[in-house]
Amino acid sequence: MKKINLKFMVALIGGSLIIASCGNNSNSENDAHNHELGMEHDHSNHEHGSTDESRNVSANTGELKGDLSVVLSNYFAVNENLVQDNASGAAKASEKLMISLKQFKGSGLSEEEQKEVNEILESAIENAEHISENAGEMSHQREHLVSLSTDVKDLIAIIGSSQKLYEDYCSMANNNEGAIWISNKEIISNPYMGTKMPKCGNVNRVIE
Amino acid sequence: MKRIHKRFLIFGSIALVGIQFIPADANKQVVIPDSDFRHEYDVPNNVMNILESFCYDCHSNNTNYPWYSHIQPIRLMMDHHIEEGKEELNFSELGNYSKRRQKNKLKAIINQIKDDEMPLSSYTLIHSNAKLSEGEKKEIVKWFKTKLKD
Repeated sequence: MKKINLKFMVALIGGSLIIASCGNNSNSENDAHNHELGMEHDHSNHEHGSTDESRNVSANTGELKGDLSVVLSNYFAVNENLVQDNASGAAKASEKLMISLKQFKGSGLSEEEQKEVNEILESAIENAEHISENAGEMSHQREHLVSLSTDVKDLIAIIGSSQKLYEDYCSMANNNEGAIWISNKEIISNPYMGTKMPKCGNVNRVIE
Repeated sequence: MKRIHKRFLIFGSIALVGIQFIPADANKQVVIPDSDFRHEYDVPNNVMNILESFCYDCHSNNTNYPWYSHIQPIRLMMDHHIEEGKEELNFSELGNYSKRRQKNKLKAIINQIKDDEMPLSSYTLIHSNAKLSEGEKKEIVKWFKTKLKD
């Protein structure tokens, strides 16, 4: 009995310490750098000769129902960090993504679309939050990227985008269950497999 | 040296008695609400039993408090876990989540159980034997996966 008690107390004290240390999440990064992310694709490491990839190809047929450019560049930054197995970079980028998602406003949406957008945003914010809070656990970040990417895809379907985008797919991602992600480049750089298999996957669909 | 020891002990005991008076709210909801997970999905008994005994303490509006939950600082710790747990996933209110969010939660439940992230090790430690067996894990993962496909 005494032994159990001792074990119990040790666990308690340990537990309290963990709680105490979890309490102060640093929020040092803020939206001050938000706009600098617009240049994100400039430092990509591939040499492509194609012309119009990162330009504003306004090929969208329907009218745009909001400006997703900040949200998208923050989302791409999360992916780029995960391609490089950079969990803390992904966490920081995801914090910015969260802020931009919270600030996003659609325009000219029907009641039904607005409801859908709200649900997508709520889900995307929650997923982004998990990625930002799990710098220590990249596999968990990638789990949430699966849902986040679906959110982003569905958001684009309603809002539209001024950039040419690619929906990529990798059957090995998500524990071999397969997962999609959105990219602004034609070449594959896979955020789920990381440096092990960065080229795994194919373009499912071009969104323009 | 001895004196310091003694003082420390006395002070410690007083503090321990003192914190027993911290008031505690109970996470109790006797009636199962319409929004509860079991009403939203057709949950078989075996799965429901597992959820109720391993998950509902921190992930619903109804906690089954063990006797030692009336002792501080145990209660403070528990309250904290319950608060965080419900924010993340509340089975009592799951029916109020959007379909998209429900789907996220189903996925997250599968992953958390597969990866042994849940139940938390601190929970399994305190509730002796609150660890899911491999069989139980398979059972509920299998069921949750069927729901994800619907």
